[in-house]
Amino acid sequence: MNNSKLPNNHLFNREQSWLQFNRRVLGEALEESTVLMERVKFLAITASNLDEFFMVRVGGLNIRIAQGNLKPDACQLTPHQQLELISEQTHEMLATQYTCFNHSLCPLLEDEGIKRLTIDDVSQEQHQRLSDLFEQDLFSVISPLSVSSDGSLPLIGNQQLHLALRIRQDDQQHPFRIAILPLGGPTPRFITVSAEERHAFILVEDLVAAFCQNYFPHEEVVDYAAFRITRNADMRVQEEVPTDLMEEMGHVLDERKVSDCVRLEVAASCSSELLESLQQLFDVPLGFTYCCDGPLDLKAWLQIAEMRGFEKLQIEPWPAVTPPQIDPSINIFDQIKQNDIILQHPFHSFDPVITFIETAATDPHVLAIKQTLYRTSRQSPIIDALVAAAKNGKSVTAIIELKARFDEARNIDGAQRLEQAGVHVIYGVHGFKTHAKTLIVIRREPQGICRYIHFGTGNYNEATAQLYTDISLFTCDPVLGTDAIAFFNAVTGRTQPQRLDNLCMAPLGMRQRILDLITFETQQAATGKESGITAKLNSLVDPQIIKALYKASQAGVKIELNVRGTCCLQPNVDGQSENIRVTSIIDRLLEHSRIMHFVHAGEHRVFISSADWMPRNLDRRVELLVPVHSQSCKEFLLNSLRSNMADNQNSHELQSDGNYRRVSAEGVTPYRSQEFLYQQASDSVRQAQQSPATNFVPHQRIKS
Amino acid sequence: MQTNTTYRPVAVIDIGTSSIRMAIAEIGSDCSIRILDRLTQAVNLGKDTFTRGSIQHETIEDCVQVLLSYQQVLLEYEITTPEQLHVIATSAVREASNQLAFLDRIYIATELEVNAMDEAEVNRITYLGIRSELAQMSTDASIVVCEVGGGSTELLAVHNNQIDFAHTYKLGSLRLRKTLDSYGAPITQSRHLLEAEIKRTTGLLHDHVNSDYPLRLVALGGDIRFAANQINGSWDSNTGATIDRESLETLTNNILAMPLEAIAQQYPLDITYQETETLGPALLAYVEIAKQLEIQQIQVSGANLRDGLLQEMALEEAWSREFQNQIIGSVLDLGRHFDFDEAHAIHVASLASDLFEQLQPQHNLDPRYGTFLRVAAYLHEIGMFINIRGYHKHTMYLINNSELFGLGKTNLLLIALIARYHRGASPQPKHDGFSTLNRDNRVAVSKLAAILRVAVALDASRNQGIHQIHCKTDTKQLVVSTSDATDLSLEQLTLKQNGSLFEEIFGLRILLRSHATKLS
Repeated sequence: MNNSKLPNNHLFNREQSWLQFNRRVLGEALEESTVLMERVKFLAITASNLDEFFMVRVGGLNIRIAQGNLKPDACQLTPHQQLELISEQTHEMLATQYTCFNHSLCPLLEDEGIKRLTIDDVSQEQHQRLSDLFEQDLFSVISPLSVSSDGSLPLIGNQQLHLALRIRQDDQQHPFRIAILPLGGPTPRFITVSAEERHAFILVEDLVAAFCQNYFPHEEVVDYAAFRITRNADMRVQEEVPTDLMEEMGHVLDERKVSDCVRLEVAASCSSELLESLQQLFDVPLGFTYCCDGPLDLKAWLQIAEMRGFEKLQIEPWPAVTPPQIDPSINIFDQIKQNDIILQHPFHSFDPVITFIETAATDPHVLAIKQTLYRTSRQSPIIDALVAAAKNGKSVTAIIELKARFDEARNIDGAQRLEQAGVHVIYGVHGFKTHAKTLIVIRREPQGICRYIHFGTGNYNEATAQLYTDISLFTCDPVLGTDAIAFFNAVTGRTQPQRLDNLCMAPLGMRQRILDLITFETQQAATGKESGITAKLNSLVDPQIIKALYKASQAGVKIELNVRGTCCLQPNVDGQSENIRVTSIIDRLLEHSRIMHFVHAGEHRVFISSADWMPRNLDRRVELLVPVHSQSCKEFLLNSLRSNMADNQNSHELQSDGNYRRVSAEGVTPYRSQEFLYQQASDSVRQAQQSPATNFVPHQRIKS
Repeated sequence: MQTNTTYRPVAVIDIGTSSIRMAIAEIGSDCSIRILDRLTQAVNLGKDTFTRGSIQHETIEDCVQVLLSYQQVLLEYEITTPEQLHVIATSAVREASNQLAFLDRIYIATELEVNAMDEAEVNRITYLGIRSELAQMSTDASIVVCEVGGGSTELLAVHNNQIDFAHTYKLGSLRLRKTLDSYGAPITQSRHLLEAEIKRTTGLLHDHVNSDYPLRLVALGGDIRFAANQINGSWDSNTGATIDRESLETLTNNILAMPLEAIAQQYPLDITYQETETLGPALLAYVEIAKQLEIQQIQVSGANLRDGLLQEMALEEAWSREFQNQIIGSVLDLGRHFDFDEAHAIHVASLASDLFEQLQPQHNLDPRYGTFLRVAAYLHEIGMFINIRGYHKHTMYLINNSELFGLGKTNLLLIALIARYHRGASPQPKHDGFSTLNRDNRVAVSKLAAILRVAVALDASRNQGIHQIHCKTDTKQLVVSTSDATDLSLEQLTLKQNGSLFEEIFGLRILLRSHATKLS
């Protein structure tokens, strides 16, 4: 990070830190030793990440400016200064992305027979076939949108690919007019061209551009260029006034379709005249036009990265294993009753979580099911199971967060489906997003009511559970059960929030609890006693927690942090944070679990959480911090933390200047945490299979 | 470990002054209680009742909504029958002028039968909730159990597991707040005014407490639990917490100086906004009571009314022997207050109990009435404190206007009438009090008064000579025989005079025989 532009106030700017994260992801795309398709995937992810960053973070800064809120952030940077830095750095990032794409990945893909063709590259025969395809499949689907002379615009979809055309017209005052061809929606991006190569394709924008004159048979298309705009998506529901949240969310989704443009991406080949027209049309903020030296929307290359038939270019699959502590032939409740069960996805299959809900839905002893849902998959088996449970007469309550950004529409659908089945649906909590991940099953048993609980660090989404590392904890601990019920009752408005015995919830007390835990370590260290903090998070932004960590470091507490994404803490600064080490792992799976360990005078308190250490999570979201009591589960998590901290293959260490340096394996045994944890999960299954249960089979006389 | 205990889910709902609370629990066949769920919703009942006299329409509807949402939770636990659920309301509902309209609206909207408990019942239930805790405390101390509520303050004085004294003071945190508001005094003077009001109400407290033993103060209630949380951090509600008076006073001063919004903001998990209004006055009341009793250390109990209600459901012993004994402790205290002939009273009570037990087939009353008879027997002569002439009527007045632990107003009236009819005229429909009773209670009073007359006659010589009695009945007569005394002439004469009511009610002539005479 270019530190000269940042005032030194002991915190890194959040947006700058996020950009550093995306740079680390980009670093994986640049890493020549990485498998080719994995490199393509990482590049696509950087593009996808930037898309969201512009919609939300840049969008948020623009809204602040529009509202006149020019207050500097915790790092003393005003919104204008932040936007300036973002513009500068994202332009640099874009240049690196396209250098990587054009000069490294494309040639390598071509070597492997995956070739992008332009209309000039194709043979006569191929040209004819493409012309037919255009006429039959595209011409009628893609309708040109006209920009009127007064500049009023048709609806241009957020982050959809478009082709802008400049057309000559008979008007001396306005000799050119602009037309726009939308290329998103059902139109495929990659159009296969039969060729000698294993996979040759032409991009839809190239194909449409080649035949765009067909739309305007009596006019001249002077020039054209592909472009894409990003709209501000940081609008929120106004919850000050009591309204129907579902209706309000619909309005927000509508608003997003026409919100201000925060970024314009355009092909580098675009003429200056056309570019100027587009900038005017969309009122693009200064510094936020990006001329791309290659195809736009690189995230589409994920399709290429995951294409079948190229397995040799892809990473070897890591099929999820069913952990040995779960026997699919035995009732899941009986197994939880024996011991708490901890899983680490996606090394461990997500199926037990689905089985847990499905079993609850049909189990005659189950009285009630309560669940939070933040982001679910499209065809969610979890929603299916909740529907089945309601139909089976169980009392089912679901808190489905309608405000989960970019999943609003899906969640509205899910909520309606659940309601129709008789589920008591709560659309989140007024003024907060319910981000906690918990599922409670109330079951009547001969020994009385038993509450079975699942706590997670990730969403109830079996699709993302294959890509994100997350923790699942199953327990029937009665204290946690009572707390979980109290939490649920509070969130559903059935009770005033109460002081919980073991669980801790945000926004009521989680920050304080974390601060107390850190302070305890500080006091221990200050008196020369054993101390230590290890935490794994997605983001660390909260200034109060960072200050407490600095204080702990100054008292001598050894602090190891593994923060995948944004980290505003400045480590390794003498007198401030010399005992704090911050690393970040960027590997094939998205690091997503939140695990914390405090030595706590030898008690070793271990927690999992749905919350990152960010003001957003601690103040504006409903989150849970869950203590892990079972010794074996604690050991499991400590092992996972140790493994994360020891990574020297895909780990990057945050420097005091805000830059990250890849952790070197020089002179030490290479160690890759994700690989190790997967191997360990697989080995434990293998070992369990190799040592079958002792069954005595008596010798009996065989009757003839 | 697998056990053979079976469990039934139950729930209790307590409609209090500033909140409606529900506890869901499981009661084991071994009478164990396991709390499953606790819910609290803030309501303005106390504010309405203690400032306007009646509960406002909006508040009633708020209560309906809370109860409806609680019913959803009850369904989740399959708590669906009336036996599984007790719903009670305390002073805010009891004292509202529109109490009946409130209860009717709740019933229409939710089909929940709410028991608007009187003070004595609240005392009794509170005692049930805390008695196991008290049993573990030292026996050589006098324990004052105190709960400052929104509308009233309940006090129990216990020594050696016996209740010496029970009283409900019209001193509640909401009443105090109202007093403060009526003065319109600046915040700087509010403490002084509150202190004066508290002292005025509980001024004679020390006189009621047995000061022969070291005193201990056990405080109950949400406000004092809040204080314990702030002073001690986390504490185990099963074992309680100890806080010192000085810390409590410091906290109280801070709270009284804070705007209500600031309290709610600072303690979001500990207190509802409605409770912030009364927190300061309530804590001050605890401080002042501790000062009056000259107590430095306050024991804070985690027990609450709902625990007591659950205990009651678990033990199904609303009128258990132990509870009867607790009532008697408080009765004796009252008797001594009116300078009764204690030896005679105890003896008559004992004889009355024997008669009640042996004549069960004749009277067919449940054990609760046995307790009423016993209490009436203890107190039947306290009217003599006023005047010997017509003392039975004075007795009735005194009992009716006293406070006895665990006995509500209806029960007190029954006892007062039983005592009143131990002599003089037979019960008449025109008599005060008697005329207000329903038929069952009228019959019960008559039966018990008749038995009491026999018991009184059996100690007519006031020498407590007859201890053992044996009752034998046939179709025409009841023969009471004893081997304890040889000269029963005075008792027989008295019985002849007093026995007419017995004969009227039970249709049996009554005879007293001495085995001792026969044997000699």
